[in-house]
Amino acid sequence: MLILSGLVWLPSLGALVVALWPGAHARSLALGIAGLNLLLTILVLEHFDPGLAGMQISEQWAWIDALDLTYHLGIDGLSLPLVILNSCLGCIAIYSSDREIPRPRLYYPLLLSLMGFVAGAFLAQNLLLFFLFYELELIPLYLLIAIWGGERRGYAAMKFLIYTAVSGVLVLAAFLGLAWLSGTGSFTYAVLLKHPLPLAAQLVLLSLLLVGFGIKIPLVPFHTWLPDAHVEASTPVSVLLAGVLLKLGTYGLMRFGWGLFGDAWRVVAPGLALWAVVGVLYGSLTAIAQTDMKKMVAYSSIGHMGYILLALAAATPVSLIGTVFQMVSHGLISAQLFLLVGVVYQKTGTRDLGVLRGLLNPERGLPIVGSLMVLGVMASAGIPGMAGFVSEFLVFRGSIAQFPWQTILCILGTGLTSVYFLLLINRAFFGRLPQNWGVLPESTWSERIPALILGLIIVILGVQPGLLVHWSEATLVLPPAALSTLSSFSPWL
Amino acid sequence: MAVTRSKTRTLLDQLVERLQAGEALLPDTPENLEEVVGILQSYGVVLDAYYRNLLDIAERQFLVLFPFFKYFDGHVTLERLLKHWWHDRINYEYAEYTLRTMMWHGGGGLETYLESEQFIALAHLAIAQKIRLNPGMRLLEGLFPDFLLEQVRQAVYYHVLGQFWQVMSPLFLTLAEAYERGEVRSIPEVVDHVKAGLVAAASQPLVYQVTLDGATYDIIPASAGLTFLADAAIPYVEAIFFRGTPFFGVVSYNAQLQEISNDPSRFTYGALYADPVTTGGAGIPPTLLMQDMRHYLPPYLRQRYLSQTRGEADLRVKICISFQKSMFCVTTATILGLLPYPLDTANPEQRQANHLHLRQWVYRLQDSQVLTWQWV
Repeated sequence: MLILSGLVWLPSLGALVVALWPGAHARSLALGIAGLNLLLTILVLEHFDPGLAGMQISEQWAWIDALDLTYHLGIDGLSLPLVILNSCLGCIAIYSSDREIPRPRLYYPLLLSLMGFVAGAFLAQNLLLFFLFYELELIPLYLLIAIWGGERRGYAAMKFLIYTAVSGVLVLAAFLGLAWLSGTGSFTYAVLLKHPLPLAAQLVLLSLLLVGFGIKIPLVPFHTWLPDAHVEASTPVSVLLAGVLLKLGTYGLMRFGWGLFGDAWRVVAPGLALWAVVGVLYGSLTAIAQTDMKKMVAYSSIGHMGYILLALAAATPVSLIGTVFQMVSHGLISAQLFLLVGVVYQKTGTRDLGVLRGLLNPERGLPIVGSLMVLGVMASAGIPGMAGFVSEFLVFRGSIAQFPWQTILCILGTGLTSVYFLLLINRAFFGRLPQNWGVLPESTWSERIPALILGLIIVILGVQPGLLVHWSEATLVLPPAALSTLSSFSPWL
Repeated sequence: MAVTRSKTRTLLDQLVERLQAGEALLPDTPENLEEVVGILQSYGVVLDAYYRNLLDIAERQFLVLFPFFKYFDGHVTLERLLKHWWHDRINYEYAEYTLRTMMWHGGGGLETYLESEQFIALAHLAIAQKIRLNPGMRLLEGLFPDFLLEQVRQAVYYHVLGQFWQVMSPLFLTLAEAYERGEVRSIPEVVDHVKAGLVAAASQPLVYQVTLDGATYDIIPASAGLTFLADAAIPYVEAIFFRGTPFFGVVSYNAQLQEISNDPSRFTYGALYADPVTTGGAGIPPTLLMQDMRHYLPPYLRQRYLSQTRGEADLRVKICISFQKSMFCVTTATILGLLPYPLDTANPEQRQANHLHLRQWVYRLQDSQVLTWQWV
């Protein structure tokens, strides 16, 4: 059964159906296809054996032999949580899209194809195939920002395109170099794992990947495209951008950077940990200075990506689990926050924290939206009982032995998260509703439900982290002996 | 609506002139009339329940230190208990918040009487009878001699507020009946109705007796000379309409920055000053009253509320706005009722005295919501 291909091609081909379907049912059709995709993801879970460390449910066909480009999909404990995240957030993004959105027969197909291409990147076991999907997803995302974005959408979309195109070039260069220097000419992941390169070559190629994926994540100083993209993108696009698309960068770094260049990784790890600290502190301090709610959440994302880099740099069993947990929890939390910021913007017409006041008012404010926002920021700040706490705890617990000072500075960053999110809550939600607003329109249940579902998952994972860790543990937790010979051993063999 | 200081003074002067012409603080519009009469009708129903319970607590549960069933008026059944726990009931707590606010601010002859030798002697007689066979309370009285006396003072406020609302409840209900008969057609007529009721009850004596073991004990005898208007109505208006208490959620304040005055006479947290769009959550005292009134709204007013703004969702805000408007009518009746001379006097000196009286009251209201409702 081609269930992995289904995850890639059901939304992609479904996009064609939605585009060509006559009448005005684009939203319902897209939602139905995304729902089917979610069911297919559950089917993958059924077939996935969490006790196995390696790739499972492989699907492979030869494509272009001369280039060693094979259509090879597989899934393991690293890609599974991200595939689930992609399917869930895809549904939520479609559901939370404006019912009156212009050109729905273009909009929904772009969202669906974005989901399909991202799933393809997470599942690809051939480096060229990964690169193809990695580049393909740029097209729908560029169009989604450029067509349905805010006032400066043209600028933001172009900036995003240029940055991520450069990212693609660097990643491709690293892949080509790897195939060439390994002497195999192969782009098959499993083959490349068995042919480690000399340290110098690893360092050069890893540098390319670090910058390439660093742009995508984004790591400071390659981050400037992200706040612009978020501010101009519509809410559903921001949900996917923060929730899933940034994870392509962290996933790529983990899968290919750490997985293929183990020796070099250990050499550069202290530098990466320092880079993580810079990212966390820069992202958090910049978030404090923001007055646009969406920009604040965007800079928060930049800060939170630093935790992932720290955990990856440490590369201990616990920190690696923390990496995956942080990717998922950040995906859920940031998606929830962007959804809620979207509702606030839709109701009040502003995201300016200098203007917003009193939204928690039980009678005439947005009390449920405000309560969910409080939950979201608490999760983001790592308050116990929520997914954010578990992920940050795993990251710090797994990294402190390797990089004590860097870890402590990152812990300080979580304190700064509380600072900027308390500023957000205090300014926008407490106090008296501005009198010149008149009566705000009430938020509807259809606007609340997506954030409510995400909030529920955030709490469930916070209380029962095993529900997520269970699927990844076998893949990520290596025996100590294997850790010492990282260059010749990989959990994904 | 934001207005400058000089414009505020002009508007306040216009209000003084309006009162002097026999009109009310609230503009006379059909919408205001419907809102005020409708809300006072539901308020009358709620006050009826409040006053019966207040009198019951003061008379029947006198010096019961743990009054577990104080909101049951002596009728404790499983069905009522279940309804109580399910909160399917009147929020009697609001009445208690109100009497405590009155007690805290004091005022009138009542406050003086409660410190008098006469009251202390009468209270001790009742206390002695009540604790005669109760060693625990005797010990308490021995250790803290002021404790039970203070409880009696509180019981007095229960009874006085009960007596006040016993007069006001039918006054508001008869207003609604008169409106439905077409006898009340304007806001000044509403004011006249309330003023007439207050004047009729003005000299009604305030008395309070408790029955202990078959014997009757005076707490406020008629000889104390306390009367309805001077010792219940005016202190009530002062404490509840003007001063109030800065309940959490009614006003956003920082006590550490001394945003609340240490002088209670400078408090402006009463019903006339309250912001209907509160800053806090549910459960605050004014919200309790709005919750109670929502059950007894006349159909025409409910229909009107449901067609406005957020319908049912912000019903309590709309009730609060109407209630505040209606309280400006009651305040108008009180201000006019306390005029030193008849409103239509031709004597220039008396007219000047009336003008000063009105000006003093109206300027006291300058930070209240009175100007807000001039345009809404």
